[in-house]
Amino acid sequence: MIYLDNAATTLQKPPAVPRAASYAMCHMATPGRGGHAPAMLAADTAFACRQAAAELFQVEGPEQVVFTFNATHALNIAIKSLVKPGDTVLISGYEHNAVTRPLHALGADIRVASGPLFEPGKLMESFRSQLKGVSCVICNHVSNVFGYILPVERMAALCRAGGIPLILDASQSAGCLPVSLAELGAAFIAMPGHKGLYGPQGTGLLLCAAQTRPLLEGGTGSASACQEMPDFLPDRLEAGTHNIPGVAGLLEGLRYVKERGTGSILAHERAMTCLAARGLSEIPGVMVYTAADRVRQAGVLSFQLDGMDCEAVGDALGARGVAVRAGLHCAPLAHQSAGTFETGTIRASFSSFSTRREVDQFVREVAALRRGA
Amino acid sequence: MVYYLIVCRSLTYAQRTHAALERAGITSHILRAPKVIDQEGCSHAVKVSERSLADALLTLGRVGLTPKRIYIMASDGSYKEVLL
Repeated sequence: MIYLDNAATTLQKPPAVPRAASYAMCHMATPGRGGHAPAMLAADTAFACRQAAAELFQVEGPEQVVFTFNATHALNIAIKSLVKPGDTVLISGYEHNAVTRPLHALGADIRVASGPLFEPGKLMESFRSQLKGVSCVICNHVSNVFGYILPVERMAALCRAGGIPLILDASQSAGCLPVSLAELGAAFIAMPGHKGLYGPQGTGLLLCAAQTRPLLEGGTGSASACQEMPDFLPDRLEAGTHNIPGVAGLLEGLRYVKERGTGSILAHERAMTCLAARGLSEIPGVMVYTAADRVRQAGVLSFQLDGMDCEAVGDALGARGVAVRAGLHCAPLAHQSAGTFETGTIRASFSSFSTRREVDQFVREVAALRRGA
Repeated sequence: MVYYLIVCRSLTYAQRTHAALERAGITSHILRAPKVIDQEGCSHAVKVSERSLADALLTLGRVGLTPKRIYIMASDGSYKEVLL
């Protein structure tokens, strides 16, 4: 199987990741729930993971790194901490349902800063014109459909100047782009552990720099005599038993990213994206969505085949041993912004483990499919 | 042996405290705070020796980690809060 669905989950992990998760299942208990060795070993692992994340994402204290089940969970905490029903929220036109659905459920007044694909100048014009009067800004760092790198640094600067809290969705950027809580001055940054950080599924992180509201209440192993959730992080947001095998694996994923370097990972993913885009563009009847300026695109590439349903193409490629994702990618707003809502797209997404040989084979399979071979 | 317990508001703060002390060359140990001194129910403490307390407090002050409370364990096993 040639796995090119890394924007959903990276399947190939550094070997230390499954090893650590497996070890944790057999040797680690729950942090904070006992003073015995298995509980303290789990506590050490959790703390090391928080420290590694704090260092990578320039977070002042490890207690500001909260474990979640995924980025959606993290985004829900962030959004429900800052947004009240009826609040006006400005989002980009490239957001995922993980952002838009909680906002709809809250009854927020949603403004959308829109702009054509890979044209950050237009997006910023729309953003600036709608910023006044909003209580919160939520923005994707990289589109999960098109790999479009949004101008979040410029948006963050405007938010800081206006005193508007920013929530950054770093689902597709954590692990391959610089993401700094300190530099952006964001209120929250949400990210999955199982994508570019190479951790197991069921892991995510929320980096916190604002007041929080718990999404879940329950035991935390701290301040147990009180019926309110603790007022300190991370306990305030971490009710219930931790996913320690996931955390142990995520720690190894973070170590891998640190050792390899986000710049090196991005360069590799970009090289794979460019190779795929070039190959696909040479196939008649294939439409490829690429940035003219390659610095605006990360390791995610959408394409379409004329006259073929995107889901049928995805299925056919799966049958040929190539794993891609087709449809709307849980991001109908991004497809509306790019003009692909009616058709959807097929998405290939790369990781630091993707190889040139795999990309070449993927292009050959698309070409064969196009020819009807 | 007489020792001090630095009570922390969470396990993570206890871990930060322990890490800061270790970096300064001060031996310490994290444990669950004894029930008799645990006013909120379930908390963690960092144990340091009698002779290390002053250095430990200086170190924690430098990194901005304020202890919640400090107790001394007397030779009869009882705990007495130390007022700073």
